[in-house]
Amino acid sequence: MEAQACLEHIKMKNNVIVRIAGAAGDGIQSTGELLGKTCSRMGLHVLAYNSFQSAIRGGHVWLQMAIGPDKQYDHGEEPEVVLLFNKTSPAVHVPDVKSGGTVFYNAGTIKKEEIESLRSDVNFYGLDFKGMTDAAGLKDVSTVMINVMLAGALVQTLHLDPKVTLEFIKHKFQKKGDQIVDLNNAIFDLGFEWTKTNTKPLELKLKGDNKPKLFMSGNDAIGMGLVAGGLKFYAAYPMSPATGILHYLSTLAHSDKLIIKQVEDELAAINWAVGAGHAGVRAATGTAGGGFCLMVEGVGLAAMAEVPVVTVLVQRGGPSTGVPTKIEQADISLAMGGNGEFPRFILAPKDLEDCFYQAARALNIAEKYQVPVILMSDFFLSEHFGTVDDLDFSKIKIERGKLTTEWNLENNEKYKRYAYTEDGVSPRVRPGTPGAMHLVVSDEHNEYGHLMSDVDAGLPHAREARIKMHAKRMRKVELMIENGDANPPILEGDINAKTTFVTWGSTYAYVKSAMMLLEKEGVKTNHLHFTDIYPIPREKTLALLKKCNRLISVEANMCNSLCRQILTETGFEIREHINRWDGEPFTGEYIVKELKKNAKNKQLVNV
Amino acid sequence: MTSNLTERKDRPALDPKEFKGDVHPDWCPGCGDFGVLSCLQRAFAELGIPQHEIAVISGIGCSSNLPGFINTYGMHTLHGRSLPNAQGFKLSHHDMTVVAVGGDGDGYGIGVGHFIHALRRNIDLTYIVMNNSIYGLTTGQTSPTSPLGMKTKSTPFGNPEAPLNPITLALGSGASFVSRVFTGNPKQVIEVYKTAIKHKGFAFIDTFSPCVTFNKINTAKFYKDSAYDLNAKGHDTSNMEAAFAVAMKIPDGTEPIATGIFYQSERPCYEESEKDTLLVPVVNHKLGITTERAEQLKARFK
Repeated sequence: MEAQACLEHIKMKNNVIVRIAGAAGDGIQSTGELLGKTCSRMGLHVLAYNSFQSAIRGGHVWLQMAIGPDKQYDHGEEPEVVLLFNKTSPAVHVPDVKSGGTVFYNAGTIKKEEIESLRSDVNFYGLDFKGMTDAAGLKDVSTVMINVMLAGALVQTLHLDPKVTLEFIKHKFQKKGDQIVDLNNAIFDLGFEWTKTNTKPLELKLKGDNKPKLFMSGNDAIGMGLVAGGLKFYAAYPMSPATGILHYLSTLAHSDKLIIKQVEDELAAINWAVGAGHAGVRAATGTAGGGFCLMVEGVGLAAMAEVPVVTVLVQRGGPSTGVPTKIEQADISLAMGGNGEFPRFILAPKDLEDCFYQAARALNIAEKYQVPVILMSDFFLSEHFGTVDDLDFSKIKIERGKLTTEWNLENNEKYKRYAYTEDGVSPRVRPGTPGAMHLVVSDEHNEYGHLMSDVDAGLPHAREARIKMHAKRMRKVELMIENGDANPPILEGDINAKTTFVTWGSTYAYVKSAMMLLEKEGVKTNHLHFTDIYPIPREKTLALLKKCNRLISVEANMCNSLCRQILTETGFEIREHINRWDGEPFTGEYIVKELKKNAKNKQLVNV
Repeated sequence: MTSNLTERKDRPALDPKEFKGDVHPDWCPGCGDFGVLSCLQRAFAELGIPQHEIAVISGIGCSSNLPGFINTYGMHTLHGRSLPNAQGFKLSHHDMTVVAVGGDGDGYGIGVGHFIHALRRNIDLTYIVMNNSIYGLTTGQTSPTSPLGMKTKSTPFGNPEAPLNPITLALGSGASFVSRVFTGNPKQVIEVYKTAIKHKGFAFIDTFSPCVTFNKINTAKFYKDSAYDLNAKGHDTSNMEAAFAVAMKIPDGTEPIATGIFYQSERPCYEESEKDTLLVPVVNHKLGITTERAEQLKARFK
């Protein structure tokens, strides 16, 4: 008997793709949250992709969530269970449903005949929200509460634990009073019970490990990583898709005694952060590509004045205002930009966990080398929600480099802020320390921070200072490599595989998914992933690139941002590319299809 | 250092010489900025603020070179960005006395957006604009305060734009301390700078600092002939309407030019709204998160 049950369990499908769609303002996010929290609290893994427009109401939005027992890398293509809220949704989403799939819809807005005429191989179930709530005698019902009824239908159809959902509903609505909690519970039950008696049960067994996961977005994880890494100061101007970091940090401002400031523009944001960084706190700012354009001069100031500061650059479709709520990975040249030559560090996390650890790491590198650090995320990574097993705060060690509040007054020596040192990093005395008064400057300067740019410019001693000071700053780039702080890419998978995917940022997950699909077909591939975008250790990276047989880059852009960076930094040219720039993230299936079309010479790097 | 959010004690005066920087100013002989530098050094000395407790933060321009000539902490930042840097610095280390300095191009031109927001935000710092109504470092172009019709390198047929009025702009932006001084009257400059530094909130001092090289209209003589001290004439500095009435007179020399404190209010400075966080200067906070706090942060997402 037990063996029989076990066998059945093995046969039973253990993962599913769900899509929820409607108008902005319908409560798509709430339903997604109820589902996500139910799964994450049951110890299941989810990955949810939000497709939305830059509109508060009226736009059509949808959310697709992959659910399963293991870490999810892909939100998938064809949803198996679909919830549709408004009348524009059937035409958009019914064609995508997997054959044999299930569609629940709001019968108050969507006509039965119309939706059922769209597909014959899909099960349709209309929920009559008004009829059902009226029949149950519920009072003070608002039409948006249909999202709770549909959540009830989902929990039933996916065989999830309704107790977990109800507990979350209680937690979410308890501030609004018992009446609201009870009403939501009743509506949830209506959806749950109706589905039990009126629908065909799915052959599905979603089993979590009962260890509650963290259900969060990339921006949450970046914010938490910054705080774990000792952030005390964050100034920003709202700009999608970076605003979530400001939102998360703002909630912690009082409890964790942080200075979190929305300021008048991005010019202000970076300069506030530089001022704070110089004062001696761990400071950061965050923006999207357009805002970063305004910040570039300030990033140069941080490099010239040798002030540690972290800028989170969350990429979206560009140029100019571009596509605010869609993915693109085309800002490496922007992060590398600015007038003149200066040291900096650029890194790009690959998933939610990595957002946390890399954000903390960015703060350490900024202080250790007294440079601007640019943490690059993208719309998908920052705005998508997913589960994380755990975040290990004990792994985060705060390293402040050569920062001190001590200065020996008896020596009667004048402090040199920009003392020439072998490693290019000068001891940094914090302002406020008696006796070590000095100036940090945006002009070229000597060891004391005296300007060499005005009346002295061109004189022999100023030329010498220029040569030495510029070299001192740029020395830090080599030092990052020597110290092992700038890492080569990581090669994952079978070293002898015939094909190597090359990625950076959030594309990591989709390539992982594609590799699993290919493996099922017996095709072995491996994966070279770049976290550190600048500096790139040339020799080690070249050695890895040369080991690979056929290199294919996968980037959410047209012009192969990463490949250009690799070519510039190592001289190695990757000639095959899979690109996507319609604004939607890759999926594993998309990559596999492109690979089969033969990616050769689609977009050549022409430098 | 302990928090000065609640009180600012008088301290014994220091020797102004201690505020002399290592570098001799590279301003043109006769430049008004010499006067600003020496008055600021005197103000710090008379208030008895030790050099290491002061940060002077500037933008770019002739006058923005000032932090290089004074023996305090400081930053010489980007054109127009003295105030963002100064505000970030001040909130991070609010026990230090922070003075932002720069010119009229820096503050009223490229940086005017920051100026307006700093005025309404009211962070406890002092902002001195050395106003000479001309771009000096770039060799003589029109500035936001150049008089109408003024011929400069960029307006050879006369400046077609009306000048900006920094005093009414400040009053209209919610300033808590608005003043104007002229470097030809150092006694007044020192007194107003001292009052501004002691003021709890954002204190703004438009300082006429004549350019001897590129501006032949707004000269030292021009101001000397028409400036008067409005505080000696019984002006009520708590009355904003009275302040506007005086400030609306354009200082074009056709009538006497008011100097002194136009307006001062005791409205709470920004730091009062972050009292808990700023109880100890943020730079002295312990970094990182306790294990217990880490669990709380994670619990929110479970």
